[in-house]
Amino acid sequence: MTETSNEKVIEKELSFGPVHPALIEPYRIRLFVNDEIVEDCEININMAYRGIEKLLDGIPVEKALIITERICGICSHVHAWNSVRVIEGGLGIEVPERANYIRVLTQEFQRITSHLIFFGHAFEVIGHETLSMRAFLLREQFMDLLQYLGGNRVMPSVPIIGGIRPRADLTESLKKTILDRCDAFEDKYANYVQRVLDDPLVISRINGIGLLTKEDAIKYHATGPTGRASGWRYDLRADMNEYKPFDFNIIVLDGCDTKDRVVDRALEVVESLKIIRQIVKNIPEGPVVNRNWVAKEMPFTTAYSESYRGELMHTYGLDHQGLVRNYQVRTPTITNLAAMEHACIGDHVTEAILTIASCDPCLTCCTRAEVVESGKSRTMTDYEIVRKYGWRR
Amino acid sequence: MTVDASVFFIARLVVSSVIALVIATLYSLVLPGIERKIQARIQQRVGPPILMPGFWSVIKFTYKSKTEPIAQMPRLYKFLIGFGIGVVSLLLLFNTPYWWFVLGWGSILGIAGMLKLEEVLYVFMGSQSQSVLSTSMPVPDTVKGSKWPDIRREFNEQHSAERALKMMLIGSLPLYLALIVPFLVARSVNISAVVFAQNPAYYPFTSWLSFSLPTNPVLFTVPGFIAAIVYFLGFVIILNEKPFSILKAKVDLIEGGVLEYAANLRAGYYVMRNLLMFALSSMFVTLFLGIPFDPFMPAMLLLNMVLSLILPIALSVLVAFSPIFTFRQIYPTAIGLSALGVLAMILAVSI
Repeated sequence: MTETSNEKVIEKELSFGPVHPALIEPYRIRLFVNDEIVEDCEININMAYRGIEKLLDGIPVEKALIITERICGICSHVHAWNSVRVIEGGLGIEVPERANYIRVLTQEFQRITSHLIFFGHAFEVIGHETLSMRAFLLREQFMDLLQYLGGNRVMPSVPIIGGIRPRADLTESLKKTILDRCDAFEDKYANYVQRVLDDPLVISRINGIGLLTKEDAIKYHATGPTGRASGWRYDLRADMNEYKPFDFNIIVLDGCDTKDRVVDRALEVVESLKIIRQIVKNIPEGPVVNRNWVAKEMPFTTAYSESYRGELMHTYGLDHQGLVRNYQVRTPTITNLAAMEHACIGDHVTEAILTIASCDPCLTCCTRAEVVESGKSRTMTDYEIVRKYGWRR
Repeated sequence: MTVDASVFFIARLVVSSVIALVIATLYSLVLPGIERKIQARIQQRVGPPILMPGFWSVIKFTYKSKTEPIAQMPRLYKFLIGFGIGVVSLLLLFNTPYWWFVLGWGSILGIAGMLKLEEVLYVFMGSQSQSVLSTSMPVPDTVKGSKWPDIRREFNEQHSAERALKMMLIGSLPLYLALIVPFLVARSVNISAVVFAQNPAYYPFTSWLSFSLPTNPVLFTVPGFIAAIVYFLGFVIILNEKPFSILKAKVDLIEGGVLEYAANLRAGYYVMRNLLMFALSSMFVTLFLGIPFDPFMPAMLLLNMVLSLILPIALSVLVAFSPIFTFRQIYPTAIGLSALGVLAMILAVSI
């Protein structure tokens, strides 16, 4: 038993991962507990660095976009889109309005699939397999739509610099299919959510645990539904020009617990459906891509986007040959997990894992470099990597 | 009893035990398949073939290459599986009429004793096992600058043992209370008296073809019905199934104390777990319906086996619709169920 100056008494440590059958990605959780109550938590995410930034360095910008889409398999579109938004903003490339509509459409399709994956994972963590399976079953509707739109379920590759790929343009038959699927999905989804909220066993597991106050959410910069479930009205879509034509609500709840993080996402799916219907009904005619641009030297430019888990940042510059320089990505999980380290204090051990999962973490996307030298490991910043290994030629 | 009669009794006891164990083991290996199939259908999946999760997986594990557990005392850890199968087998045999007359084991005391031994096993298993999946994972946790550098680090399985101890103290109480009710109705501690009270026409050691149905089963009385509900939930608790599977919650403790059982030991664990499920189901039919598991009366045996499906089927439905409870939910549930069990006991005494 250990006692510190702040009089927190810790009986023992329990650690999980990075190899653990219940963790969908490799990370290590250390819980410092008294009996079953978590007194402190430490999460180590540096387990699977893929070197994405290094891969991107020094390659033509068009090629770089193929790689950025592969940063994440669940939010592939938002990475590709935000990546092109950087160069479009930096070089002032005009994007046709129709292309923006289709980009938003793909974004909302994936938001729905991402939130349904979250339900699938969260209910798996709770131990409710049936609700988990149903979530994946519901998700299939929108995975199909992504395939119809982009040609691929996971990597639809819709955005390109200056617009979208022409094959991802909306046809009349696809519009009808989307509306039909949305109608069919909405009924089933409403039943699903109602069933979750009416189930006293499930509610008893998620209600009142993982408390994260608004002040803490702001302090740790818990973005996306994680922050909004703590009463923090922060959604970048409200400020993005691409979302200006659409009428939708930003879901903000003030329960600050795991239940509200689930409910927030559940309600966001309904808002996404609302946006999708508006897009299909109001999409303007016209070209879908502007090819009048040339890759040239571009100062470091940053673009922010509201991905499905929160705020996403991409930043890079182009040299005089139009090659990518010093690409940096910051995904929402990095700050959300820090918030969850704090939120799980006071939970039971089994609940703490659920609390951590309730920010919908995506570990491999957010992991930055780690260098192991002589058996000692330390984390390197992108700047250090560039200094040590130089530009890729 | 003369010497000849004693020898004859012992011979029949041994033969009936062997027949009962063989039939029960084979039958119990089908139960997980039925369980999984029902859950899959509820989840709109096809599910595995019926024999796959129980029967074929046990056979598969028996010829997998063996791995030595990293337990503190590996030989003891391995022995616990054999011990567990022995305990569960005895529990099952208490359903067969010949064992009702052996040393008074065929009584509430014998049943409760075996169940407690089975529960204690998980405490021993948990305190022994030290898999690589938690503390001994080669990750630099205790580096300079660590938040809590000198803290006691515990294996997940040891935490599971602590949870098993809590479940022994509080979680399993409802099952024992529910078990007492049929004995209270029969005003006896012996299983034979419970069965004869419900099924007066039944008399063991008669012809192979004889068959008798119970006339006044405990299940169809008010205290019996309440006790049956409590027994079912106690059955779920003692099997460590959802929603009471906290000591092997996949999300944190993975498999709990049984984590390091691999290959033939894993097969043994599955046999133990499935046999326990059947033993408790069969016990329910014996005590609450008055139909014993009599290997020398095929009709009674078959009826017991068919009715023994009630609890596993109900269990699979419950598992499909339940999350895992933490102790926040388990304590009030166990207390509520225990209160219900006490109510059933009071009603049983008053009828």
